[in-house]
Amino acid sequence: MFKKQYESHETVTIIFEGKSLDVEIGQTVAAALLGDGHLIFRYTRVSGEPRAAYCFMGVCFECLLEINGQRNQQGCMIPVSDGMKIKRQLPPKVKIL
Amino acid sequence: MSIAEYDYTIIGAGPAGMAAAITARKHGLNVLVLDEQPAVGGQIFRNIEGLEKYRNSEYHKLGEEYLSGSKLVQQFRNSGVVYLNGRSVWQIDGDLGIHHVSTIPTDQKSSVPQFCKTKYLLIAVGAMERPMPLPGWTLPGVMACTAADVLYKSSGMIPQGKVILAGSGPLLLLIACRLLDAGVKISAFLDTTPRGALIQALPNLPKALRSFGYLKKGLEMLWKLRTSGIPIYTGIQEIEALGNSKLEKVRFKKGMKHPEVSADLLLLHNGVVPNVQITRQLACDHSWYDVQRYWEPIVDDWGNTSMERTAVAGDCGRVSGAVVSEISGHLSALDTVRQLGAITLNERDKLSRNLRQSLQSHKSARPFLDKLFQPRQNQIVPNKEDVLVCRCEEVTVREIRETVRLGFQNPDRLKSMIRCGMGPCQARMCGLSVSEIIADEKQISPGEVGYFKIRSPLKPITIGQLAEND
Amino acid sequence: MINENAEVVVVGGGVIGVSLAYGMVKNGAKVILIDKVDNRLTASRGNFGLVWVQGKGKGMPRYVEWSIEATEKWPEFAENLETESGFNLNYEKTGGLEICLGEEEHQERVNFIEEMSKASSSGRYDCEMISLKELQSMIPEIKLGKEVTGASFCSHDGCVNPLNLLKAMSSSFQENGGGYRPEQFVQKIEYSSNSFKIETGTHSFNSKKLVLACGLMTTKLASMVGMNVPVIAERGQILVTESTSRVFNYPTAGIRQNYDGSFMLGGSHETVVHNIETSYEVLQNIAKRAIRILPNLKNLQMIRSWAALRVLTPDKMPVYLESDQYPGAYAITSHSGVSLASIHSSNLVDWILEEKIPLGFSSFHPQRFNVQEAI
Repeated sequence: MFKKQYESHETVTIIFEGKSLDVEIGQTVAAALLGDGHLIFRYTRVSGEPRAAYCFMGVCFECLLEINGQRNQQGCMIPVSDGMKIKRQLPPKVKIL
Repeated sequence: MSIAEYDYTIIGAGPAGMAAAITARKHGLNVLVLDEQPAVGGQIFRNIEGLEKYRNSEYHKLGEEYLSGSKLVQQFRNSGVVYLNGRSVWQIDGDLGIHHVSTIPTDQKSSVPQFCKTKYLLIAVGAMERPMPLPGWTLPGVMACTAADVLYKSSGMIPQGKVILAGSGPLLLLIACRLLDAGVKISAFLDTTPRGALIQALPNLPKALRSFGYLKKGLEMLWKLRTSGIPIYTGIQEIEALGNSKLEKVRFKKGMKHPEVSADLLLLHNGVVPNVQITRQLACDHSWYDVQRYWEPIVDDWGNTSMERTAVAGDCGRVSGAVVSEISGHLSALDTVRQLGAITLNERDKLSRNLRQSLQSHKSARPFLDKLFQPRQNQIVPNKEDVLVCRCEEVTVREIRETVRLGFQNPDRLKSMIRCGMGPCQARMCGLSVSEIIADEKQISPGEVGYFKIRSPLKPITIGQLAEND
Repeated sequence: MINENAEVVVVGGGVIGVSLAYGMVKNGAKVILIDKVDNRLTASRGNFGLVWVQGKGKGMPRYVEWSIEATEKWPEFAENLETESGFNLNYEKTGGLEICLGEEEHQERVNFIEEMSKASSSGRYDCEMISLKELQSMIPEIKLGKEVTGASFCSHDGCVNPLNLLKAMSSSFQENGGGYRPEQFVQKIEYSSNSFKIETGTHSFNSKKLVLACGLMTTKLASMVGMNVPVIAERGQILVTESTSRVFNYPTAGIRQNYDGSFMLGGSHETVVHNIETSYEVLQNIAKRAIRILPNLKNLQMIRSWAALRVLTPDKMPVYLESDQYPGAYAITSHSGVSLASIHSSNLVDWILEEKIPLGFSSFHPQRFNVQEAI
């Protein structure tokens, strides 16, 4: 849905859901994923509905991803780095006693 | 380890923050700038250095504004300021101890200290878009219109497929024109500015003519839009985003009709409001600006707030645009320099004279624009009750109204009853809407209703970081 | 001036006031609950949600029995309230832990439990020390820190969602005909012909009985009707983390994992008056202790923090008092309004409406503080 208009001057390799992606250095994780065609970043805790990034400037907290094992990372605030492992955020497994 | 101490700490590196830093450094202050973003420029000059270096032709298309922005950036870079990018402030103590953390989670080895003290504080965090809750606004494919601006400037990305712009305000117009310049084919422009808005704003027009440049620019953008061939619908209401697990269609009301258009991307805009998260955490006094329906911190002519040694500059005070932000940054810094004793009162006044004149001139279009694009209550409070107001905790209009009717009529009471405002965004996306809905139920002004109490952490930090943060 | 009549006026919209009001309308009484202008200081909306016996009542056996009785009534109380109101209380009676760090803490706990067990007149106080191994086997999915020596485990203990408790009782109260009047601040109380006239500036309420359950305002209002009830404020700070999979299934007084997977960390005490700001030092100490107990917490993000003021009598145990000079006026103040909600809405309501004085009630009289009654 969003496409890059120009050639990257330098790239790094990130891994999204197990798949390697070459993305331009200096981009945020959110932009890089969107540019590769991934719209949905997470499923909510309350109802499990799919969400995508909304504001891209750190205000909405919709772009929450699991990055290098840490949940609830704002993809729009974090620049890509080589070898970064990213996963969609799923609702935590909540067991009711 | 000793604690770093500064004369002046500025949060934010947009035009206001950079200007303040430059002026403060000119007078020999020891200055720290904490910027959450990866690089200088704030929102308006996002990725300005990257654009100039790597995408020069696009950089030049961004025009005069960016050229003058680059000058500011260069002065900032040469000023000798201590600039920390990628740092989020998560708490500010009453005695102006500042707790900040890296935005990069794996940056554990960062040797930059995470706590510092400052004599004076400037909050220059800019503005954000007013939340625009409507049916289906949480669907993937619906975004705030500034998202398109961020993606274009930072990553050179433009939207594909069926793109619809909807809402009201100068920024929507600006983004539309930018997208057109980038070769995007916009499917429709839905203008929710009510009929009669222009007539109501006319009394402010004579004053606005003093800064004719702004009006001229606006008219040029309007003309560009009108001659672009994009279907434009005016006087629009009741926008709905429809789709299964992502956006597929947009429905709206025009007159008596309810057209539907298919869509891949819906960009929403309903005005720009000050980002008061930090001023709220500090318990600064705020007042309700009724014309534009938002809270702003109460300040004097130099941006000093009700809290000691704390000032604001730029759009996180009153939303007035980049040039006014820059000037207010210089002015605020001048007064802080005076408070620190580096210049006298007379010197301050002398140095600020030209700035003040310039400020008046650039501000003169604002009353007209604020009135023209005055948000109406029916544009802010959704008429459908199952619309999510709190996106984080998925709380609907209905739940809020029902709970207010049970007697819980204050934002914090409401929050403890139904969790709205408790999520990670800490009410940034629902705060204004909640106050508006309570106000509607009680038939009073949102200013009388008040706002949630905002506490730290301003941005999440880990328990480990909190424990080790010495 | 709006005039309203009721059998009982309850002053105070916190968990105690609401428990009493809720219990009273269920008994068929006509009740009006008045609540002052919100100043965000209420302990009811800032607590940990424990339904607790373990650490309470040292020096007052009657209070220990009172707490045990309350937790025994809780399951039925919760079920009824959930059915009536339609709200989920997320009540869990799993038993509760007090985890010990280091030998000194451990020994202190051993001594404490022994004393409490001996003092329990009914012998019902059920709390025992468990070893580190046993403790870890109770929470196999999360690792305990190196300094943990064991814990005390009390079978009476449990936890609830305190905000939903307040919401459920308030809603049920109103559904059963109770009148909720927010933003009412008591200015004057008059007493004549066995009736009370309570003036708030906009309203005048007339009632046969007046129940003061107004937290930190209790001292002031109680003195207007001949009662001397000293209370002090003690600040507690809490932080909440992001949600994660449910691994910690027993509440403790300083750490618990909520039904939604978020952890609450607390257990701080500061004697501060009328200030609900959080402080970095205290939050840091809370975080430090929590990590010593459960090291894996260090990777969880703190999403919110808050502070509230506990309402404490000089010995931290309840005061239940009827005024001698103004019969029909009651002052009720207690820590543990959540734990005692089940018994406040039943036994105390019987006392207020039908003069059925619970056994050993004199223990809760404030004369134990050697206080002179106000003239």
